Formats: sequence, structure tokens, C-alpha cells
Amino acid sequence: MIHMEQLLSILKEINPDNEYETEDRLIDGGLLDSLSLLTLVSELEDAFDIEITPTELVPANFNSAKAMWTMVQRLQQKP
Amino acid sequence: MNYTTLAYLLAFLPAVLALYGLLPRRLRRYLLLATSYLFYLLFSPKLIAYLLASTAIIYFFGRWMAKYGAVPAAAKKRRAIFWCAVILHLGTLLFLKFYNFAGWYLNALFTRLSLSASLPTLTLVLPLGISFFTLQAVSYLADVYKKTIPADGDFWRLALYMAFFPTIMEGPICRYSQTAEALSAGENLKYENICFGAQRIIWGLFKKLVIADRLNPVVATVFNNPPPYHGAVVLFSAICYTLQLYADFSGCIDITIGTAEMFGITLPENFRQPFLSRTPSEFWRRWHITLGAWLRDYIFYPLSLTRFVKRLGKKARAKLGKHLGSVAQTVLPLLAVWICNGLWHGTGWNYLFYGLYYFALILLGNLTEPLTAKAAAALHLGKNSAVRRALQTVKMAVIVVTGELFFRAANLHQGFALFQSIFSGFQLSALSSAMLAKLGLSIQDLAAVSVGLALVLIVGILHEKGIHIRKTVSGWKMGFRWSLYIAAILAVLIFGAYGAGYVAVDPIYANF
Repeated sequence: MIHMEQLLSILKEINPDNEYETEDRLIDGGLLDSLSLLTLVSELEDAFDIEITPTELVPANFNSAKAMWTMVQRLQQKP
Repeated sequence: MNYTTLAYLLAFLPAVLALYGLLPRRLRRYLLLATSYLFYLLFSPKLIAYLLASTAIIYFFGRWMAKYGAVPAAAKKRRAIFWCAVILHLGTLLFLKFYNFAGWYLNALFTRLSLSASLPTLTLVLPLGISFFTLQAVSYLADVYKKTIPADGDFWRLALYMAFFPTIMEGPICRYSQTAEALSAGENLKYENICFGAQRIIWGLFKKLVIADRLNPVVATVFNNPPPYHGAVVLFSAICYTLQLYADFSGCIDITIGTAEMFGITLPENFRQPFLSRTPSEFWRRWHITLGAWLRDYIFYPLSLTRFVKRLGKKARAKLGKHLGSVAQTVLPLLAVWICNGLWHGTGWNYLFYGLYYFALILLGNLTEPLTAKAAAALHLGKNSAVRRALQTVKMAVIVVTGELFFRAANLHQGFALFQSIFSGFQLSALSSAMLAKLGLSIQDLAAVSVGLALVLIVGILHEKGIHIRKTVSGWKMGFRWSLYIAAILAVLIFGAYGAGYVAVDPIYANF
């Protein structure tokens, strides 16, 4: 999927040290710090034309690339 | 009756455990709640009103928010209810902490403006644990508002979440989703939990009584009567204070977490080998972890994601590039976090300075991160190279000790005076054993503290490697195991700071 690859490349650019394809503890494991997370939020908003509110900023949405992608798709469907 | 007293360790806690084990499951939560309120009443019979009021407010306002939860049109109402409850809590805390401080300055202003108005000085006492349970209350309200958790219809469960006796004095600051359920579940006592919990308590006692309390006299001597101390003596005292604060606070937290563990309840960790940090940011993810996490989740992220700050960030990224733009976006939220951190700790300009000190360092660190990465690469210093780690350790030691010097100083003016005095007539020879003894640190103290710190370092390194020491030891042969346990208890009894010449030191963080 082109969009998932886009998400992965955004993540790799922010912090290349993590294995985003398999990692599922990006937040709980402290692998993405708060600055990286904020950069990620603005990149995602720009790339996918969505709005990420503080309510969305929970580990469940950001612990893995897959979780992020699920959130992005859900927010894209919002009016 | 604080956590290091015989009354707590040999009477209160065993009694609660015994009753807990004897009671049927469904009554255990009421026992924990009753004993928590008893614990509080033993400290301050009248001020428990604040804890009770806070509990009632979050219960009723939480349910009120839930009433409008499913109705999108009532979003404004929900927001108003939320902010009303939050302002009640933070307003009370700010009033109790800062009324007299602000009043002094306002009165000075009135005098300057030749106004006859004047605010009376009130005798305000901070209720035990208010800085901690207020944050727990606000986190509950925020999580209900964000719909991360449903409002709790069980008043007693909420009350126990707020009042649980091990956490009421110094935290850790728990989230509702972390502890409320387990506290009320009334799980059976397990032998392993009781053993591991007791061992953790002994470790905490060791840190507090053998290290922290033995360092207290020298710290008190220098910081409470600064002249004529200067140079190496002041630096030494600042280092001692840093170690005292760590041993005291983390030791009490060990007792707290160990107590909860005996009941089978897991509390969040508050310390994770903070002196192994490489940057100030990392330090605050390893020191007083639950406070940092609270500020990050309830101030930093919400502020960073407001439309205003996001717009600022977008403009900054367009003008300054991705990295600088992202850092620019964090300036205002970080400032808010660090002002709150400073003021949460106390009423004094030195606490505000302490917060702004870390604000500046962390911002600087974030700004220069690409540069330092490039420099390290150019010098072929990998992330884990010995040279780089050594440099980072020295850097962090200087940063942390300097910060704690201001933190401990009586006021900002004295902080600067003490800091400057380090550089006047600095001579290591001033730290003779005669001088140290005069300051309150005898040879025996020095020996006990040194061995204690060495043990803390070894334990820290083992923890950093992910080794669960108590579990490992429980696998040893009985002879070795019990030798270690008895040695540990004896170490606390023999080397702990008590007896003639020592004053029992109240847990430092209970004052916040």
C-alpha cells in the first residue's frame, strides 16, 4: 500500500533507529520521545490532511506503525 | 507516623496486612480505605477535609460529565464542567501555596502606589499530600473528559484511588487506569508478593537511613548557615545534597512500592537509575518519572496540539526548516511545563529558577541535537562509546548538582551566593576529615555512605541490564538467600543513622 509506505518513510526520517515494521512498543518502550512524537503528528497531519487532537494522543494509537495507520484512516473518514 | 518509623513498619503495616488476609475479599477495599483515612487522620485530623472534598468533587463532576457524554451538542457543557472541577482543584492548591507569597508582593505594590489596601497574611497549612492527590484528581478528570476512561460510579473505589496510604505522602502519582481497579479488587495475599515487597521496603530503608540521613547533617550545616563556607566545601555539600535527595526520595518510594507489592498491587516506578542519564531530557524520564509523565500528558501534549501552537509550528517549519521549526513549536508548551514543575515544588523564586534552568537546558539540547550528532560522528564517537558516555556523565553530574544546589538553597539570592562561592578559593585540601567531622560527617558516616552508594550503583547497573534481583536471589540456595536477607536487615539496623547525635529526618518530598 502506497500510503503505508509513506507513513513508514515519515517515521524513518524522524528516527531511523527503530524497526517500524515490527515494533509495537514505540511509546510504551520510550522509543519515540515527545519531540519526535510532535514532529510526527505535524507530518501526519500535513501528509494525510487530517487533524490529530490531544484526545488521539494515546499509546494505543502510536505504539506501532499499524496502529498509526488505523488512526490515520479513521481520521480521514471524519467530516 | 511516616514510612520509616517503627510504628509504621512493625505495627501499622503488619496489622493492615493481617486484617486484610483475614477479611473476605469484598470487604478488603473498605479496610484499605479505612486504614488510609486513619493514616491521614494521624497526621492531620482537620485537613482530611481537603482530601474528602477533592474525592467528592471528582466523583460528582465525573458523573456529571458522563451524563452529557453521548450528546455531541453538549460538548460545551462537558467542557465547562471539566474546567470548573479542574479550577476548583488547582485554585485551591495555588491559593494554599501562593497566597501569602503573592500577598507580600501585592502589599509592597500597594505601598508603592500609596494605597491603603493590604492583604492580610493568613496562616495556611498545606494538607498532607495535596500536591500529589490534586494531580491524581486532575488526571482522573482529564481522562474522563477525554473519554479515555468512563466516569467511576463506585465512590469507594475512587476514594481509595485518591487516599491509598502508601502513596498519599510522596506519590508515585498514579493514573486511575493504573491502580484503581487493583486497589479495590481485594486479591488474595501471596507469599511471593509479601516477600518481594518486604525486601523492597528493606532496600528503601537502607537508602534512607544509611545514606540519606547520614548525609543530612553536612548538608544542613552548609545550606542553613552558608557563611563562611565556600569553595570545595560548598561543592561537596551540593553533591551530598543531590545524593541525599535521591536516596531519601527513591528510598521512600521503594517503601511505598514495596508496601503496595505486599498487597499484590503494582504501583508505577518513580526512578530508573537517573544518574545513568545522558541528557537533561532523559534525566527527567528517569527521575520522579510520574511527575514528568503527568506534566507531559496533561500540559505538554495538550498545549502542543492546540490550533494556535500547531499554526505557530507550521509557520516555524516553513521559515526555519523541519528541525528548528519543530523545536520552535515546543517552546511555549515546554515553558509551561517547567514553570509548573518549578512552582509545584515550592513557593520561592529558587524553585521557579530551577524549573526555568531545566527549560533552558532541554530547549538548548533539542536545538543543538543535530549539531552534536554531527560532531560525534566526525569524532567517530558512537552512541555507546566509552569516551562519549564519560563526557555525558560528567556533563550531567555538573548539570544535576548545580540544579539541586539552587533547589536546596533557602532562596534564590542564597543560591547564587553559594554557587559563586564555589569558585572563590577552591581547594580540595579544605575537605580534610577534621573539616568533614566538624560539618557533621564523621569517618563512620563517610564509610557507611560510601559502601551504601557503591551498593546502590551495583543494584542500579543490574536493574539497567534488566536483572530482577529479588527474583534471582529467590532462586539461590536457602543458606545463601537467608544470609543475604539477614545481612540486609542488620545493615539497616546497625548502619542506619539513629542514636545520639542524629535527628530523625522527615521524608524530604513530603513537604511538597
